Amino acid sequence: MARRSEVETGGAVPAPAAQRRSQRLDQALELVFLLALWQVLSLWLGTYWISSPLATLAGLFRGLASGELLLHASYTAGEAAIGFLVGGIPAAALPFALRRMPVMTAILDPFMVGGYGAPKLALAPLFILWFGIGIESKVALVGVTVFFIVYFSTLSGIRALDTRLVQMAQVMDANEHAVARHIVFPGAVPYIFTGLRIAMPYSIGGAVIAELISANRGLGYLVQLRAMNYDTTGIFVALAATTCIVFLGNWLVNALERFLLRWRPPADAMLQADA
Amino acid sequence: MSALEQASLVESAPGMNRRRLLVMAGRIGLAALLVLAWQVAADTAGDLYFPQPLAVARRIAEDTASGALPWNTYVTLRLSVIGFLLGCAAGILVPFLLRLSPRLTGAVEPYIMASVGVPKYALIPLFILWFGIDDAPKLWLIGLLVFYVVFIAVFAGIRNVDARLVTMARVLGASESVISRRVIWKSLTPFFFAALKIALPRAVSAAIIGEFLVGNAGLGFVIENSRQQVDSTGVFTGILVATALVLAINAVLERADRRVNAWRPVDRHMEI
Amino acid sequence: MAAGAILEIRGLAKRFRARAPGAESPWIIRDLSFSVREGELLTIVGPSGAGKTTLLNMIAQTDTASGGEVRFRAQVAPLGDAKALRPGLSRQIGYITQDDNLLPWRTCLGNVLFPLEVQGRLDGQTRARAQSLVEAVGLAGFENHYPHELSGGMRKRTSLIRTLVYDPPVILMDEPFGAVDAQTRALLQADLLRLWGEGRKTIVFVTHDIAEAIALGDRTLVLSRAPASVKSEHLISIPRPRDIGGILTRPEFVTLYQAIRAEVA
Ligand SMILES: Nc1ncnc2c1ncn2[C@@H]1O[C@H](COP(=O)(O)OP(=O)(O)OP(=O)(O)O)[C@@H](O)[C@H]1O
Ligand SMILES: [Mg+2]
Repeated sequence: MARRSEVETGGAVPAPAAQRRSQRLDQALELVFLLALWQVLSLWLGTYWISSPLATLAGLFRGLASGELLLHASYTAGEAAIGFLVGGIPAAALPFALRRMPVMTAILDPFMVGGYGAPKLALAPLFILWFGIGIESKVALVGVTVFFIVYFSTLSGIRALDTRLVQMAQVMDANEHAVARHIVFPGAVPYIFTGLRIAMPYSIGGAVIAELISANRGLGYLVQLRAMNYDTTGIFVALAATTCIVFLGNWLVNALERFLLRWRPPADAMLQADA
Repeated sequence: MSALEQASLVESAPGMNRRRLLVMAGRIGLAALLVLAWQVAADTAGDLYFPQPLAVARRIAEDTASGALPWNTYVTLRLSVIGFLLGCAAGILVPFLLRLSPRLTGAVEPYIMASVGVPKYALIPLFILWFGIDDAPKLWLIGLLVFYVVFIAVFAGIRNVDARLVTMARVLGASESVISRRVIWKSLTPFFFAALKIALPRAVSAAIIGEFLVGNAGLGFVIENSRQQVDSTGVFTGILVATALVLAINAVLERADRRVNAWRPVDRHMEI
Repeated sequence: MAAGAILEIRGLAKRFRARAPGAESPWIIRDLSFSVREGELLTIVGPSGAGKTTLLNMIAQTDTASGGEVRFRAQVAPLGDAKALRPGLSRQIGYITQDDNLLPWRTCLGNVLFPLEVQGRLDGQTRARAQSLVEAVGLAGFENHYPHELSGGMRKRTSLIRTLVYDPPVILMDEPFGAVDAQTRALLQADLLRLWGEGRKTIVFVTHDIAEAIALGDRTLVLSRAPASVKSEHLISIPRPRDIGGILTRPEFVTLYQAIRAEVA
């Protein structure tokens, strides 16, 4: 029997190694250049206007050591994470529930499109009015923002269902429940993840905006507080911490996706990551 | 086979019509239900949280008559459009400059892509510190948000331009600037439209959020100022008008896009 | 019903829904009749686009017929109403489709176990049977590979044993060895004959390779170009067990081949 002893996993043609190396070098040089420019600017204009890279780094370590930064970061990350779940889970579940109800889906459609297009961040003051300045208002804002993004990506996953696979399963006597569980759901997961990947920065952004407007903790609050004290270095530190959370969130979603979608051919996965 | 397809396969023309009627009725019913829910919420939770729908309608009418609402809408729109144009200009210019040197592109592009992760709204306090409390910080915010959307689209578009077309133009003796203008820009328009559809509504939301934090006019100011005065009617009014504004812009762009790109096959990789 | 027939097709007709309202859609299949005996390996050849896949879809009840009758044992498939279809007739009819239709998110073995799992029959015994089938078709060592990590022939084999594993009495096969090279194909054909010899199932095997149809079948039907109907029927009396490699030069084979060739052309 013809067999392949090894399985090819490589996809795209890699750039020549030498070219890649010189590109790395360029990038490193540029990083040094940017940092130097930043340092010079801060020396020239004064730290009142621009914090220096060294001061920012020092502030970051000081904030981490005292635990203050971690505390605020954990509030922001917590708000974003809870809102992500509160909005994301129903958004991913609803299209499955609606799968056999085309009329209901059609009825909901203009409302969902409206909700998707509406400027949800403008709801921040309303949620603060309703839920106060604590975590609830942030969770609500993040949840609403995430909901519509994930709803539409999940819906498109269900619409893209390969009906031949469903027929195959039905011939094998799979019932409705088995079809949903073994075919519709796994097929929709890549689409759900596309939604999650898009929604991730929005969730942290939403939490930060609500904190900027009114809060007594969180990184957005920290930025606002330090701006009021004209503590430019402090602002830079808080911004750096926020950026770190965004990267961490992206990394988490990507890692989870890589794990759950390891069945996908690598070229396909790469395309998805680029989109 | 999904129920949707099954239904569309089996059902005949009168069945389709009945279904369309059912959907229409359902939508109207749902809208009525939402308004009713609002009324019930207003009656039970009280004015502090849920203003009466009628009160909001009255407020919209009054403020429109007094000119306050049109003025604030105008302020927000003007800000959005200026910021949008600035961001667009930068978002188009930078990729075209980068195109001149592949080496520069290789060095700069990853940093720009990495900085996408920086939460732009959190920069507002810094912008206020740097640029004062007039329109400048808001314009920077809007411009920056628009820049990223347009940059990514145009950059991807340039990469996507058929290399053979460019070579052909070069062989025919076209100068770099002619190539930029004629060949590349032509093939870019669909990407650019896709970016526009995302960026313009985003510019309006950014303006509103900027107005939450700084300034004394605009829809964002109306919403946040009303909240600080615990005037829920004002908050609702502002949000309703802002939502209507953004949705109207979406609808106009949608229609324009459909008209301009009607002949084009849909390319799902173009989605941002 | 003909004596000993497990499957009976009478005057079958099929046309798809018209694309535009008011337009007439062409008949794909018209007045097609044949029957299949229990334990028979019936092969069907016909030109591309004749309607072979469509025919199998109607037998497996994944699509409706527009006229005529498809009868399995005493059960008649419903006409016209897609919702009344019973795909696979409660696992009495297995169907190996033209595309392998493997679930991309399941490994090779996971795909083979899939029918057992959804039928609630996955236990130590059936699992062992799946494992032995995997080994029988030379997929040992690839159990944990995802479909995209398998070659085209391996995917075909996986889809083949995925149906064999739950042991339906009738199996429909739609060009199961279509997209593989000649050598692998010969190996797969030998595998199939061996497995069929052990289990003695009823098999309806569609192909447009005439040599394959003769080498495998007890009987070969030739379909006409669309609208498809049975153009001719050939009994294949080459004794079993057959040697796939050696059969090609036998005089009976050559005669049959030329006869069918003339009809299909
Ligand atoms: N869902 C469909 N809607 C409309 N026409 C269809 C549909 N499926 C198949 N056809 C048409 O029916 C005819 C027969 O198709 P079928 O797939 O049964 O051919 P086939 O004999 O299996 O061909 P091949 O050997 O290439 O697989 C073709 O003309 C095809 O265009
Ligand atoms: Mg076919």
